[in-house]
Amino acid sequence: MLNQVLCVDDDPITLLLCKKVVERFSFCNEIITSTNGEETLHYFNTLLDSPASKPDLIFLDLNMPVMGGWEFLEAFKNPKYKDFHTTKIVVLSSTIDPNDLKKAQNYPMVIAFLPKPISKSMLEHLKEIVV
Amino acid sequence: MKSKTNKVIILYSLATLFVVVTYHTVTQHFVTEQSISIYSFTKDIIFVVITTLLLKIILSKNEEINIRNFNKLKKINEAIRESNDKYDIVAKATSDTIWDWKLEEDHFSWNKGIESVFGYSQDNVTVDSNWWFDKIHPEDSIKMSVRLYSFIEQKTEKWQDQYRFKCADNTYKYVLDRAFLLKDKNGKAIRMIGAIQDITKQKEEENRLKLLETVIIQSKDSIIITEPKSEQSKIPNIIYINPAFSAMSGYTSHEIIGKSPDLFKSLNSDDDALNQLFKAIKQKKECQIETILLSKIKKEYWVRLSMVPIFNSEKELSHWVSILRDITLEKKQEKEKEQLIRELTQNNKDLKQFSYITSHNLRAPLSNLTGLLQLLEETPIHDAELQEILHGFSQSTQLLNDTVSDLVKVITIKDKPSIIKENVNLEEIFHYVFQQLETMIADQNPLIELNFNANTLYTHKPYLESIFLNLVSNALKYKSEKRKLQLKITSQKVKNTTVILIQDNGIGIDLIRNKDKIFGLYQRFHLYPDSKGLGLYLVKSQVEIMGGTIEIESEIDKGTTLKLTFKNSK
Repeated sequence: MLNQVLCVDDDPITLLLCKKVVERFSFCNEIITSTNGEETLHYFNTLLDSPASKPDLIFLDLNMPVMGGWEFLEAFKNPKYKDFHTTKIVVLSSTIDPNDLKKAQNYPMVIAFLPKPISKSMLEHLKEIVV
Repeated sequence: MKSKTNKVIILYSLATLFVVVTYHTVTQHFVTEQSISIYSFTKDIIFVVITTLLLKIILSKNEEINIRNFNKLKKINEAIRESNDKYDIVAKATSDTIWDWKLEEDHFSWNKGIESVFGYSQDNVTVDSNWWFDKIHPEDSIKMSVRLYSFIEQKTEKWQDQYRFKCADNTYKYVLDRAFLLKDKNGKAIRMIGAIQDITKQKEEENRLKLLETVIIQSKDSIIITEPKSEQSKIPNIIYINPAFSAMSGYTSHEIIGKSPDLFKSLNSDDDALNQLFKAIKQKKECQIETILLSKIKKEYWVRLSMVPIFNSEKELSHWVSILRDITLEKKQEKEKEQLIRELTQNNKDLKQFSYITSHNLRAPLSNLTGLLQLLEETPIHDAELQEILHGFSQSTQLLNDTVSDLVKVITIKDKPSIIKENVNLEEIFHYVFQQLETMIADQNPLIELNFNANTLYTHKPYLESIFLNLVSNALKYKSEKRKLQLKITSQKVKNTTVILIQDNGIGIDLIRNKDKIFGLYQRFHLYPDSKGLGLYLVKSQVEIMGGTIEIESEIDKGTTLKLTFKNSK
């Protein structure tokens, strides 16, 4: 079982669903949420200042206000965050733009590009990869 | 002649002497007087001698005159003969046909040319002038005779004319006829002698050249002929322009002949094209360019110019012929078209982006619904009514989800993502398809017959799966309630294609009514709750993007056959 999972999405229902599914299928011990890229970077900045447990996996949405998923990935590449680069990222999106899939391949941290909604079978699949 | 004169004189003297001697002998018998007799005899002798002498003088004088006259006549005769000989020789040597017309008797004669040039034997030629006039082409004859008679009446100085002359084989020859008049001492014309020259070849060549000239003069394309060589890296000087070029450029012929076409250059002329032209001039090769030129009134126009070197029989460059066509309108239309394409491309891009966003915005809440309903499935519900409501809720969500995912497929196909082709095993594909439709197949328990004579296809696997999934599920959905569903799927190679047939014995589609709409978007042909009107449209889009074709045959309450044809290319 994973220790901590971070779920980034601007839609509260998606976050709710994510929480419920993760909890129900005992995917991790703790689930935390964030509503856009910038908020997520802030969270990592606070972790830099006062180290605590860091997330093992991030579920990342692409289309978000303030800072979207791509922008976040660009910013997160910064060596400043190198301590967190062991964290795996799963892009969870409803996009149908084929270019998005190609783009995701440029980020080695992104281990999967999955369509919404999050499901039991998806989590089982991820468990096999991550653990 | 001399001897004849002498003979006459001798005869005369002997005869008279005989008379004198006879007379003297006779008188001697009757006249006794001796002296008288001797005197008379002597007197007679003297008379005979004198008359003989006189006769001789007269005769010899006469003879001299005769000789002189004779010599004169002889000379004249010789001159005439020589002249005749010369005429014969010339008439024989010339290729012209000579005619001789005695006007008063209207006697007309021809030399051998009438046979050798026009084919008439001398027997067929009548000796009056009517024969001649008859042979002149009707269109030329009036004009010609007016001129001829005005010459005979000596109103005009010279006569020569061109007309068409009919040959023995009824064809016409163009001739040039020249003649002069012979007059009597009163100055009246009595005889006319002419020479007819066959100019058919020259005339035909002239007509041919005239015809060719009309091409240049009447041509809508502009033509410029220039000298072979140029000075100081200019385009060679112009020696001819046709009227079309005058009309296009505004320059008249005399304004630009002898000048270089460089003066048509505009600031906006295409430098690359002009360099190409100069290179071709240097290499004496033909070339074709498109460029902007400047007219006399400084108006720019586009031309397509083709410049061709012309070589003479010694293979030396003699001219350049350039053909120009005004393509201003064409260029304008091309520009407009490019602009239109740019706008359309942009619109298309915008629309695509719009469809991505819309579908994303639709899919995001829909995925939440689906996710939540999946959670509910694991949650025990005891209220029967709530269970029923949730079931309807779940079904509607499923249908909405299917519709949206079909729409998304349509959008992504139109986006033409790079298609990766691979060798696909048809049997495996159908195995996968039947697995997907497991519950439906279990419900209906159809008779399925598979026969793959051509089992592999080099194509895009996900599309092929989607196509067969759609078509087989259609067959399952639209089966007839009256009979057990029979599904027959076959494949075989036909020439360089693979043909796949999917046949069912279902309710069929009224193709007469729906022929044009069958593969259209949002077309539904049956009242079936699951029908979204997307399936066949999607199938057709996918088949076409894979380079294949799809055809349908169907009969109401008999069944439907779908025929897919793919090329066997690697």
